Amino acid sequence: MPQHEHMERHRKLHGRRLDADERERKKEARSAHKRSEFAQKVHGIRAKLYNEKRFKEKAALRKTIAEHNERDNKHSNDDAVADGAVPAYLLDREGVSRAKVLSNTVKQKRKEKAGKWDVPIPKVKPVADDEMFKQLKTGKKQNKAWKRMVTKVTFVGENFTRKAPKYERFIRPTGLRFKKAHITHPELKATFHLDIISVKKNPSSSLYTNLGVITKGTVIEVNVSDLGLVTTTGKVVWGKFAQVTNNPELDGCINGVLLV
Amino acid sequence: MEIAPLTPVVYNFKKIGPVPSATDMVDIVLTRTQRKTPTVIHPGYKISRIRSFYMRKVKFTQQTIAERLGNIVENFPRLNDIHPFYADLMNILYDRDHYKLALGQINTAKGLIDSLSRDYIRLLKYGDSLYRCKQLKRAALGRMCTIIKRQKSAFAYLEEVRKHLSRLPALDPHTRTLLCTGYPNVGKSSFMNKVTRANVDVQPYAFTTKSLFVGHMDHRYLRWQVIDTPGILDHPLEQRNTIEMQAITALAHLQCAVMYFVDASEQCGYTVEQQVSLFKSIKPLFANKQLIVVINKIDVQPWETLEKTKKSLITEMCEAANCTMMCMSNVTEQGVMDVKTAACDKLLQARVEKRVVGKKVDEVMNRLQVFHPAPRDDEERTAFIPESVAQARKEGRVGSADHKVKKTTAGYGVTKNDGDVDMDVRKTERDIMWEMGGPGVYSMDYRKNYLLEKDEEKFDAIPEIMDGKNIADFVDPEIDLKLAALEAEEDQRMAENQAKNMGEEPESDLDSDEEEAFSKIRTKKATSREESRINRKQNTPVMPRNVRGRKKDKHDVGLLDSVEGHLDGLGVESSGVKSNVRGRKRERRERNDDSVAEEMDLDTTGMSKGALKKMKKEKKEAPKRENSLARSHSRPREPSQVGLRDEEAKKVATKKEMTAKRAWSGLSGEGDQRKTVHLVKWMNTGKKRNGTHNKR
Repeated sequence: MPQHEHMERHRKLHGRRLDADERERKKEARSAHKRSEFAQKVHGIRAKLYNEKRFKEKAALRKTIAEHNERDNKHSNDDAVADGAVPAYLLDREGVSRAKVLSNTVKQKRKEKAGKWDVPIPKVKPVADDEMFKQLKTGKKQNKAWKRMVTKVTFVGENFTRKAPKYERFIRPTGLRFKKAHITHPELKATFHLDIISVKKNPSSSLYTNLGVITKGTVIEVNVSDLGLVTTTGKVVWGKFAQVTNNPELDGCINGVLLV
Repeated sequence: MEIAPLTPVVYNFKKIGPVPSATDMVDIVLTRTQRKTPTVIHPGYKISRIRSFYMRKVKFTQQTIAERLGNIVENFPRLNDIHPFYADLMNILYDRDHYKLALGQINTAKGLIDSLSRDYIRLLKYGDSLYRCKQLKRAALGRMCTIIKRQKSAFAYLEEVRKHLSRLPALDPHTRTLLCTGYPNVGKSSFMNKVTRANVDVQPYAFTTKSLFVGHMDHRYLRWQVIDTPGILDHPLEQRNTIEMQAITALAHLQCAVMYFVDASEQCGYTVEQQVSLFKSIKPLFANKQLIVVINKIDVQPWETLEKTKKSLITEMCEAANCTMMCMSNVTEQGVMDVKTAACDKLLQARVEKRVVGKKVDEVMNRLQVFHPAPRDDEERTAFIPESVAQARKEGRVGSADHKVKKTTAGYGVTKNDGDVDMDVRKTERDIMWEMGGPGVYSMDYRKNYLLEKDEEKFDAIPEIMDGKNIADFVDPEIDLKLAALEAEEDQRMAENQAKNMGEEPESDLDSDEEEAFSKIRTKKATSREESRINRKQNTPVMPRNVRGRKKDKHDVGLLDSVEGHLDGLGVESSGVKSNVRGRKRERRERNDDSVAEEMDLDTTGMSKGALKKMKKEKKEAPKRENSLARSHSRPREPSQVGLRDEEAKKVATKKEMTAKRAWSGLSGEGDQRKTVHLVKWMNTGKKRNGTHNKR
């Protein structure tokens, strides 16, 4: 006990007041009413925050109650274990939940049924040209309008140099160029910050693919050499496809799922 | 005497601000952003305005976070900067690596948030709609909050550290310090409680003291701190637990006098042999320190009756370490003060010696000079002892063991059991006061203590001296009698005088007529004064002069009449006054009026009823009109018309003014300063056939 723990010290020396327990009990009993009073009174952002907090608390409460109840619940697993004498080779076998196996097989079948090129986001909203490009006025009198600036996130190769202004029809601003993406491995359930190698397919238009525009649903190639994935022949995989799952121009980052 | 250090470094970790939990931190930051940045934006605003609105939000949030995290990193002490004692103590209590890691993580989070905000501000520059800007802002704030939330454990840990740190005793590692050490339960805390007011918990079981305690005491007019450490056991350093390590840290890093407590009675549960072996094992920590071995609990096991083997063990130990050994008992307080004094003196001496060896001392020594005056002769000059005291000493009344201080009732009222009071003590003034009836009744006379040449002069009145002369010399002792005689004479004379004047009237110089006139004048004066007082207008609106006319020009019909009446009353000829006062013109009009009236008088017979009425009315209002005319005549002219002869001239002037003021709307004159392109009409009007307008 450090020298300044005066509360503890005082309690040690003089004890607590005689009605301390009673007061604590009453405080606890009143707390529900107090909380309710506050919950009814509060409004606006505070109410939102309070309700959110309370919801979490209640969820946690339900969870713990459920956990406690679990002891009483009957598990099919327990029943599955054979009674009586068991041969030695079956001794360390545990009862398997039958329902679980079934659902797993159903899932597996569905997975196999789906096509090989099934992607996480099969349908995307097409992006129109006027949303994608901003017209730039050029010329001495600012009366020419053949130049376009890309307003979405783009990927440009490492050794890209801009063309001369006269020939540069599409400008991809440096502020919107991205080099890395957060890619989730669906089986590992882990996310990695990986380098983008190229843009493989922008579903909206081939022009966008050529320009390297990245929108939601775009398939990109990422460098997975860090992950240490190996092919069946034992070679290290370094490029793999991934699909973008967010709107990078709105979120300021690229999130995607690895296509495996 | 020791010299106090000039700038004592005080280690006080109380000023570290509380570290909020991660969720609280997020709340603090976001509410602050909401409160301190503008909140109203519309999609119709200029895009640059929308962008800057959201950029400001992102930047502000980042700044708030940076400020908060920066404060945390800055406020917590850096282990490299503080005194090694504290650094080691913190290492033991909070784990140095953990501490550094937590602070480092927070610093990293700060950096991450900085770069994040930079990225998002760059992206916001390309925002082309309110929606996009808003989404980017949302993403930025969300990511910042995520980074903070990841530091949840670091925040929690630092808050705990802060709480504990602020409760550490305020221990100054540089000052004069005594340190108690030894096995558990050998009486370290009890000693501490004896010499200071620290009030450390003392219990009859081991490890009652679990942390360092600091108490303060005064010795030789200096401030000393006494440190009570937890007990230490005899095993290798690696096996020592946190509680013991605190004691070891204090021993290792503080420059102090160490008191090693040995419980010779073995009540603590450890034998003397064990205690001696502990001493030997921690002996390296005693290097360069003033060491005293304290044999405690001598009330239970006196040193003299201790077993010889144990005795010899302890003495050998002391000799080997070259330290003094002292005995004491906390219960009987025997030897406690001796131990304290010995330890303090030892440390003080060592500190002074160290100072003298050092360089700094020269600066002080150069300024010091001690004189020993040479004796002027061989005469012995001893202290003066009064004869009475010498006598008393000789008789053994003073300074001997059986000498009792004489009691007196000094200052108190007489009580019943005053029998034990020694009455040959000199009576004080207070005693006398009580004898004579207590305070308020008796007041002492200071004069009885005067030291004068002649004792009988004590109570004489002191002469008052003024300008070098005794005032008493100029005082006539019979002055009162003389004054009374004078006053009596005055009274008598006045009475005589009164009797003489009894029959006579008060005389006057005036005869009866004059008397009457005089009284009239007086009443008149009084009435006029009263009138003017009543008529005097106070607090009434003042009419401007051009409205009311000059006072001296004002003709008051009533006044004129009253003047006549007045003059008549005074017996002065008043017939010509009226005509004298008014001008000739007036006379003329009067005459006219008269003639009209005369005419009217003549013609009334032939007139209609209405005309007659009108005429009557005019006649009735004639004096009023006269009045107004008079007023208008006396009114000063308008300043703008001064210098204009008549109505005609005035008209001409107004016209000229009007023409001068006229605006030249749509007409250009030669005075115009405009210089514009001269447009040729045939070039700029009509149909355009050949090419565009510009081409021409």
